[in-house]
Amino acid sequence: MAERARRKRPAVTVAAPPEVRPEPVAPPPTRSTTPYLLDFLPLEDGSQTKLARFYASLREGRFTTTRCRHDGALLWPPRLACPRCHGDDLEWTDLPTSGTVYAFSAVLAGAPLGMETDVPFVVGLVDLTGAPLRLFGRIVGRPWERCTVGMPVRVEPFDVPDGRVFYRFRASD
Amino acid sequence: MTERRDVAIVGGVTGLWGVRDATWAELAQEIGAALYRAVPPLAAEGVDSLFVGAAEPERFAFQSHVAPFAAEQMGIYPTRVVQRTELACASGQSAIRSAYAAIASGLSDVAVAVGVEKMNLPSMAEANAAMACVMDRAWDGVHGATAPPFFAMVAQRHMLEYGTTADALAAVSEKNHRFANANPTAQFHAKTFDRAKLMRMPLISPPLRLGDCSSMTDGAAAVVLAAAPRVRAFTDTPAWVRGTGQSADFHNLANAGSLTDWVGLRRASTEAFRSAGIGPGDLDFAEVHDCFTISEIIEYEALGLCGRGEGGRYVLDGRSGPDGDLVVNPRGGLLGCGHPLGATGVAQAVEVFEQFAGRTPAARRVPDPTWALVHNLSGSANVHSVMVYGTVN
Repeated sequence: MAERARRKRPAVTVAAPPEVRPEPVAPPPTRSTTPYLLDFLPLEDGSQTKLARFYASLREGRFTTTRCRHDGALLWPPRLACPRCHGDDLEWTDLPTSGTVYAFSAVLAGAPLGMETDVPFVVGLVDLTGAPLRLFGRIVGRPWERCTVGMPVRVEPFDVPDGRVFYRFRASD
Repeated sequence: MTERRDVAIVGGVTGLWGVRDATWAELAQEIGAALYRAVPPLAAEGVDSLFVGAAEPERFAFQSHVAPFAAEQMGIYPTRVVQRTELACASGQSAIRSAYAAIASGLSDVAVAVGVEKMNLPSMAEANAAMACVMDRAWDGVHGATAPPFFAMVAQRHMLEYGTTADALAAVSEKNHRFANANPTAQFHAKTFDRAKLMRMPLISPPLRLGDCSSMTDGAAAVVLAAAPRVRAFTDTPAWVRGTGQSADFHNLANAGSLTDWVGLRRASTEAFRSAGIGPGDLDFAEVHDCFTISEIIEYEALGLCGRGEGGRYVLDGRSGPDGDLVVNPRGGLLGCGHPLGATGVAQAVEVFEQFAGRTPAARRVPDPTWALVHNLSGSANVHSVMVYGTVN
C-alpha cells in the first residue's frame, strides 16, 4: 500500500510547469502606498468602483457628474441610483468648471494624517456657475487671509504622485 | 399605534473627562464600577440590556465588536439586547434612544446606556483623520473636511447674513466654561476663560479660535433606564422620557442647503415637543450640542428660543445664562466638559437626572426644574437628535 501510494503521488499532485510563468506584475497605477484604511483618496480603478469614468474624464480635463434620465436631477457626488426617484437610469454629464466661493475657511491646525504638510490650507463651498450645485473642496492659489466670499475660482484637475488623479479649486486671477 | 410603556432614567454617572491615562477598555471598566456605586439598587435589580454609544472605536482604539467588549469590562451580562449605537457625535444619545425604544416596546425592562470614547492618541493626525471620515470621506473628507473648517464656514455665513460677532461666539464659550467650573468631571474644570482671553486664543479655522471649539476628549458616562413598574425601586426622582425626535437631511456637503438655517433641528425639536405636549417656553433648562460656539447660537434659533439671526444677541444679553430666560448647558457644555463623542449624549442625560434630583453643585443648579431638553447634532449638523425629559410621567 505504502509503496503504491508513493508511486502514485507525483501523478496526482504535480502539475506540469506552465508554459509561460506570469511576470511579476507592477502595482496598478491606482494603488497608493498609504495603508488603504488611512488613504482619503478614492480607489479610481474600474475593478474597484463603478464611477471609474469620473476619474478617467478628469484625467482628460473634464469635470463630470451623473444626471438622472428619469427625473433630470443633477446629482453630486456621481452616483449609480437616483435618490429622488430611486431609479438607476443615470447618464454622465459635463459640469461647469468655474464658480464662486459661497463660504470658506482654512485649516491652520489639526489636519488629518497625510495633510499635515499642507497646513495652512483653504477649503470652501463653491457655487458652480450655471449649475445648481455647491461643492466642497480645497482652494489653492491664494492665502486664506486674502480669500473672500464671492471670489471666483475654477476647477483644476491634478495628478496625484501615486498615479491617481483628483480635483481642487484654484483662485482665478 | 401600539401602546408604549413609560420609561425613565433612574440613575447615572459621568467619569473623569480629559486627556486620560486610560485605554478605551479601562474607561469602560471605570464607568462600570462608578455606575454600580452611583446606583446602589442596580446590583439587586439586574440589567437585561446594554447599549453602547461609541463613535469610532475602530479608529481610536482599534477595537470592533465593542458592545460585548464593554459589557465584559463593566461586568454586565445582557440577556435581552446587547448592541452598539454609532451616530458620530450623537452616538451617546443614540444609545439612550435605543434603550428607550427597547423598554417602551417591552423587549427590555432595565437597560444601561453607556458612552465611551478614547480620542487622545500618540498620533493626533490619525485622530484627526478619524474625524475627517465622519464626513463623506471620498468626496469631502479627502479635501480636509473636519469639523472645525465646516463649522467655521457656518460661522462665516451667520456673521455675513446676520452680523453675528466674534464677541457673541466668545460669550457662548465664556458662559459654558463658567458652568464647567462647577463641574468636577469637566475637562476644563477650574480653568478660567474670560471673553478677552478667549478672543486672543489662536485661530484654528478662521473665524473660529481654539476657545470656540470643543476638545478631543477621553471619557465615559452611563445611565440606567427602567420601565415604569421598575422605576421606584431605583429612585424617587426619575427623569421620564417624554418626547423625542430625530432628523437626517443630507450627508455630502453639496446637499447641505443653508448653513445657517438648521431645518433638521427645527423638525426634530418640533417632533420632540409635540410628543411631549410642550413648547420651548415650558423648558427649565436645555443641554444642547455646543461642539462649536456657533452651533449653540444657531440652536437657540432652531429650537425656537429666539428668531432667525438673533442667536448672537440672545447670548450677549445673557438670556441663556444662569439668570436668563432659559439656562442652556448648565453642565458646562461640550466646550467646557470636552467632547468624547459617544459619551457626550449620555453625560447630558446624567445632568438632567442630577438636576431633577436637585443634586448638582449650587453654582450650576437650576431651581426646581420640571422640563429639560437634550440635543445632539452629528457630523456636519446633518443629523439632529432631541429628547425631552420631565419630572412626571
